[in-house]
Amino acid sequence: MSDKVTFTVDGKQLEGKQGQLLIEACEESGIHIPRFCWHKRLDPVGMCRMCLVEIDTPRGKALVPSCTTQITDELSVETESEVVKKAQEGVLEFLLINHPLDCPICDKAGECPLQDQTMAYGPGESRFIEEKRHFEKPIPISDIVLLDRERCILCARCTRFSEEISGDPLIEFIQRGNKTQVNTFPDEPFKSYFSGNTVQICPVGALTATSYRFKARPWDLKKVSSTCNCCSLGCSVELNVSQNKMLRILGEDNEYTNQGWLSDKGRYNFEYLHSTNRLLSIHSKENENFENINISEANEKITKKIQELGNPDIKFIIGANSTNEEYFVINKFANLLNRNEFLGKDNSNVYFADDHISNGYFGDQYENATFEDLDSSDAIVVWAEDIKDNLPVLYLRIKKAVKNGVKLVIFGHTNTALESLADLYIGSEVISNNFEIQKELSNIKELKNIINGKKVTTIIGKSTPLQQKKSLDTLIDYLQKVSDLKILNCFSKANTFGALQQIDQLKGLNEFCTEYENSKKNIVFTIGANPVNASFFGSQIKDILQEADYVISLDIFKNETTELANLILPTTAFGEKEGTITNMEMRVMKQNKILPDPGSTLSEWEYLVMIAKSLGEDINYENVSEINNELVSQYKTTVNLPTFDNLNKPSNLFGILHEKEINLNTNDVEKNNISLLMVKRLYGDSSTQINSQSISMLGSERFIELNSITLNKYGIQSNVATLTQGSASFFVNIKINNFLPDNLVIAPINRRGFEKLDPTKEFDIKETKNMKELSVN
Amino acid sequence: MKETILLTKHMRENPEDSHSLKSYEKNGGYKAVKKVLKSGSPEEVLEEIKDSNIRGRGGAGFPTGVKWGFLAEDEERYLVINGDESEPGTFKDRILLERDPHQLIEGMMITCFAANISKAFIYIRGEYAKPARRVQSAVEQAYEKGYLGKNIFGSSMNLDIVVHLGAGAYICGEETALLNSLEGRRGEPRLKPPFFPAVKGLYNKPTLVNNVETISSVPWIMSNSGKDYSNLGVEGSTGTRIFSLSGHINNPGNYEIEMGSSFGEFVETLGNGVKNKAIKAFIPGGASAPWLRGDQLDVKMTIDDVANEGSMLGSGAVVMMDEDTNLVLAAKSLVSFFAHESCGQCTPCREGTTWLENILERVASGRGRISDIDLLLDVCDNISPGLTWPPKMTTICPLGPSATASIVSLMKDFRSEVEILLPKKVVIS
Amino acid sequence: MRWETQRLEKAKQIIKMYPQKRSALGPLLYLAQDKDGYISNESIVEISSLVGITEVQVQSVASFYSMYKQEPTGKYLLSVCKSISCEISNSSEVIESVKEFTGLSNNETDDQNLFTYESVECIGACGGAPAVQVNYETIEGLTPDKAIDLCSWLKETEPKVIVADELQEKFGGVKSFDWAIEDNTGTSSPVPGFQTYDTLKEKK
Repeated sequence: MSDKVTFTVDGKQLEGKQGQLLIEACEESGIHIPRFCWHKRLDPVGMCRMCLVEIDTPRGKALVPSCTTQITDELSVETESEVVKKAQEGVLEFLLINHPLDCPICDKAGECPLQDQTMAYGPGESRFIEEKRHFEKPIPISDIVLLDRERCILCARCTRFSEEISGDPLIEFIQRGNKTQVNTFPDEPFKSYFSGNTVQICPVGALTATSYRFKARPWDLKKVSSTCNCCSLGCSVELNVSQNKMLRILGEDNEYTNQGWLSDKGRYNFEYLHSTNRLLSIHSKENENFENINISEANEKITKKIQELGNPDIKFIIGANSTNEEYFVINKFANLLNRNEFLGKDNSNVYFADDHISNGYFGDQYENATFEDLDSSDAIVVWAEDIKDNLPVLYLRIKKAVKNGVKLVIFGHTNTALESLADLYIGSEVISNNFEIQKELSNIKELKNIINGKKVTTIIGKSTPLQQKKSLDTLIDYLQKVSDLKILNCFSKANTFGALQQIDQLKGLNEFCTEYENSKKNIVFTIGANPVNASFFGSQIKDILQEADYVISLDIFKNETTELANLILPTTAFGEKEGTITNMEMRVMKQNKILPDPGSTLSEWEYLVMIAKSLGEDINYENVSEINNELVSQYKTTVNLPTFDNLNKPSNLFGILHEKEINLNTNDVEKNNISLLMVKRLYGDSSTQINSQSISMLGSERFIELNSITLNKYGIQSNVATLTQGSASFFVNIKINNFLPDNLVIAPINRRGFEKLDPTKEFDIKETKNMKELSVN
Repeated sequence: MKETILLTKHMRENPEDSHSLKSYEKNGGYKAVKKVLKSGSPEEVLEEIKDSNIRGRGGAGFPTGVKWGFLAEDEERYLVINGDESEPGTFKDRILLERDPHQLIEGMMITCFAANISKAFIYIRGEYAKPARRVQSAVEQAYEKGYLGKNIFGSSMNLDIVVHLGAGAYICGEETALLNSLEGRRGEPRLKPPFFPAVKGLYNKPTLVNNVETISSVPWIMSNSGKDYSNLGVEGSTGTRIFSLSGHINNPGNYEIEMGSSFGEFVETLGNGVKNKAIKAFIPGGASAPWLRGDQLDVKMTIDDVANEGSMLGSGAVVMMDEDTNLVLAAKSLVSFFAHESCGQCTPCREGTTWLENILERVASGRGRISDIDLLLDVCDNISPGLTWPPKMTTICPLGPSATASIVSLMKDFRSEVEILLPKKVVIS
Repeated sequence: MRWETQRLEKAKQIIKMYPQKRSALGPLLYLAQDKDGYISNESIVEISSLVGITEVQVQSVASFYSMYKQEPTGKYLLSVCKSISCEISNSSEVIESVKEFTGLSNNETDDQNLFTYESVECIGACGGAPAVQVNYETIEGLTPDKAIDLCSWLKETEPKVIVADELQEKFGGVKSFDWAIEDNTGTSSPVPGFQTYDTLKEKK
């Protein structure tokens, strides 16, 4: 049977797919039917009635909503008949009778579907003379979202999003009939990682974001498409700028990646760009104090230092926020310095500042998966750090796949948010609190039933830096043997995969600590990395950086690492630089520049090229597209290369999948006895977040998670306690999470102060009895 | 004109304890189901129901046998009895629930046997507290006797029945809204397609939703025959129906009659006439039905005859309004009802019904405008395009269009009653 | 206030009657109303964890139905019908007299927490219009005077259990049909008296 359907709209023959909704099929053929409640990514509800059209039925013409009508052969539709026009006018008049006329002060005005459709399809005037419905004007329903119920047209997009897509139905219709309103429960705010999506899809100004409220008029905004760098998923975004200030980030509907959605972190983590705390000038440490110097002074200092130290060992600690082009130059720079005649070394000296990376599963014996494979697999097997917190939109993709019938298997103790969706949760009976597999996998019947002989996509990576890679190997070996396996290596930080592709041989912080030799002269570059904070090796690295002969930090904010630098070079950030990034599927996507370089910042590559030149190296790039040109020539294929030109083509807006040899070399931490499981949560204490006013407080709560049995063992009755380890002591909230195994306590790694906690050492939890015990270190 | 007593026979003859299992059995109850379980087949039951030509008694009048035949195959299927009777003017299911609950249970048992269903629900509106507890007691008695539960009467049939109370929402009488309500959700009608209960009903499983009166008729049909039943009444409206008669009438109440006589005859004989007054208008089938005029009392009480007059027999609620009735207030009461009961899901009903209520309120209290008649009719038209009956709809379900019925009737036949309330046109020369 | 053990046990029993937990939401809301006379936020939290949905989902459902009260109600919930058959049978006068006696307007509760007054849509007693319910027990064929008698009797005697038969005999008139079956049961709170919920009470 062909899945093509031929139908008629306004006398024109159109083609569509079997089962497709009329409104969507028309849209694809260029016929726009007005709508409010229908949204491509949500289940249709046919509530607003704006998309009514006339169809022929055996009993004559009938008005039906095109958002709930599937196309069939011979379907004959009229979208512009008198009856349809009258119905559209009627619906708009109904919607407007209670809609306030506060458009002049409404954020949505100018890009408001209600405004636009009233103009196109509405009645010229209102016949309503009674009083409009009144509600208290905007009420905050979370730290980042405001609700104006008077403006709401009850399309149920927000309620459907939170129930169907994000799975945290915290916003709902209250009351009924003419009194219906959208609201949250009094003591339970709209505490969702994804709440900003409801603001974006709201067809009126009922839901607004604190960060954007009253900031701009839509027609004044400058817009550019780009790719989010908050995690390695690579969500397509649109950056909105006015008067050289980033004011808003919107999700773009990229079928392959985010499908329109963003996490609130990705959406609201931008105000830091304009923070007064930004590093905007070069700082040089002279006699324990930082002084401002200019670029040529800085260049001279570096060159002199390298030459003065004779034969220094030069190491690079890099972060995940650089572009592929920047990594390319870092790699080249590192190689030049190492192979340089008077340095004469041939070792890799680039270290990646994320403890979660492992050698992964790359190369010919493994098949790389894309996110689309999640939908077409029979089963998804996840063993990795917490997906919802670290790759939030991937959580949505998994949830969607599960909703469509894909089976889900979760390993280990970190993905408790996914457990309620899982068909099989492999927990403490199989996996120790130390993340070792304690049972022969082939003996688990339930697992076998789900994966044997099936198409399986696995999302795999270390759940915690202390997990031994051999446990992951066991799982991968088994899956390889019994199923048709595709692999998504789960490294969650921004452009990790770009670094992997561009750096000849990348190592981890473990290697940095072991390979660093005190006896030598040492220069360390940290580039967009803060290894002193939030790393298992933080304190070791702190000692090393203090001991090193010269430390050069390239960054956008001062932090625990830059404090130890001799020279701080301020760099450009997201939206201020152009380049490509590679997401976890190896999809290369474009990041675009829409903001000028602030202060005397330069791109990372500009600093490195400048330094190399003054060292006499033959390295010369005028602009970033020159780097890109050279970079793409090293990809394995020759068709559809990820050049700027290609990526800017509309057909390639969604990125180009590119394989490149990966050479990652990192060893497990030897001491791996986990007493306290440290997990990175979405919100935390990163300098970008705490300098973004709207979300700065979201990661401030100190808490621990444990199950009720473990809680009882500590004899704690209340929901607050004191966590002590050595001399460190914290007042923490207690969250009961009964998905956790007994005797496992989880703490967020990215909490201010928690870097003092050592996950391998003993700790104690005591009930907090009086306020004196609330002292915070 | 006389009543034809089938469904109300037992309750009338045993006024002291017709609700008890003892009385029901003593008078031949549960014989039909025993016979069916012993020697009948599901196919035979379905044939009898089809032969009876019984049409649903909830309001829409869909042939019951056809409905049963549509039920999709599935391991899990459900029967849900719609006892949410809330249509103003209607109180017939109330007596069936309150006074003969075992007749309903027996009807359900036969239905479940025919449709291979082992879990059934009786959804009763919350305000029917007393009928509901009678039904609950009856269900408990039936369990005690082993008439419900596992291996009923030694057969392989299992059946569990849960009595579920609504909580004050007329819209839950709409079958898909009822299913939402029974699932613990807001009583909002579902989209058809795809949520036809016979395919995707309760918990997305194939579900039969039948009215109390419809299923209460099943034991009689099976004790006698489908053919016997179809011999009663007239073609297209077979069997008996319980009509609820109220309003300006000497003897209000429930009357079980064969369909086919005229409203006038019904009112004069069984209703004992109207208190020395003429009838100005009457509602032939519940609050949703367009009104008929006093001079239309000769219309026959069949589904098709009433439909031909542009109205409907609906839920069988007949409300008489005598010559002294203020029809503007009557219409306002009806429109207020629908505005109050609108679920609020779709725009035209949510906004339109309240707007209509507000305009009528203004008109009734002397604050109307000359343009209000046109406005009322045009707002109605935006809910129910063309103002025909059965209605065309811009809405999800027929509740919104039902709200327009009384206004359209008022404007069509009694416009002067509205005009007199409006300011006169002043011509300045 | 958290639910007492007995109520929790009842709730768990009710949940077991249904193939899916959420179906028990309606009955559990009645248990909540029986406890406080309305659906309190504390009960919403309790029900949310019993049924496994969020608080706002519970609230969304509760606020949809008119019998789940969002404000505390008095000991006696007086619901006077105003739908069509009652409307044309002078229900407005009954409404006026009840309002006058209690001094309440629609959906109000008096300071003594004795009466809550509401005018309601059709209660299925059209043959006995105008009709009224006290805690969902129906009295038919009321007159404005009898309505006042009913209210003052309730006020004076403060009966523990409201029984329809008793009230009908004392204050009612024309009926939808004969109530031949004697019934001695009713309710003691503004919920339907129904054995499954343990809200059905016998008049001693």
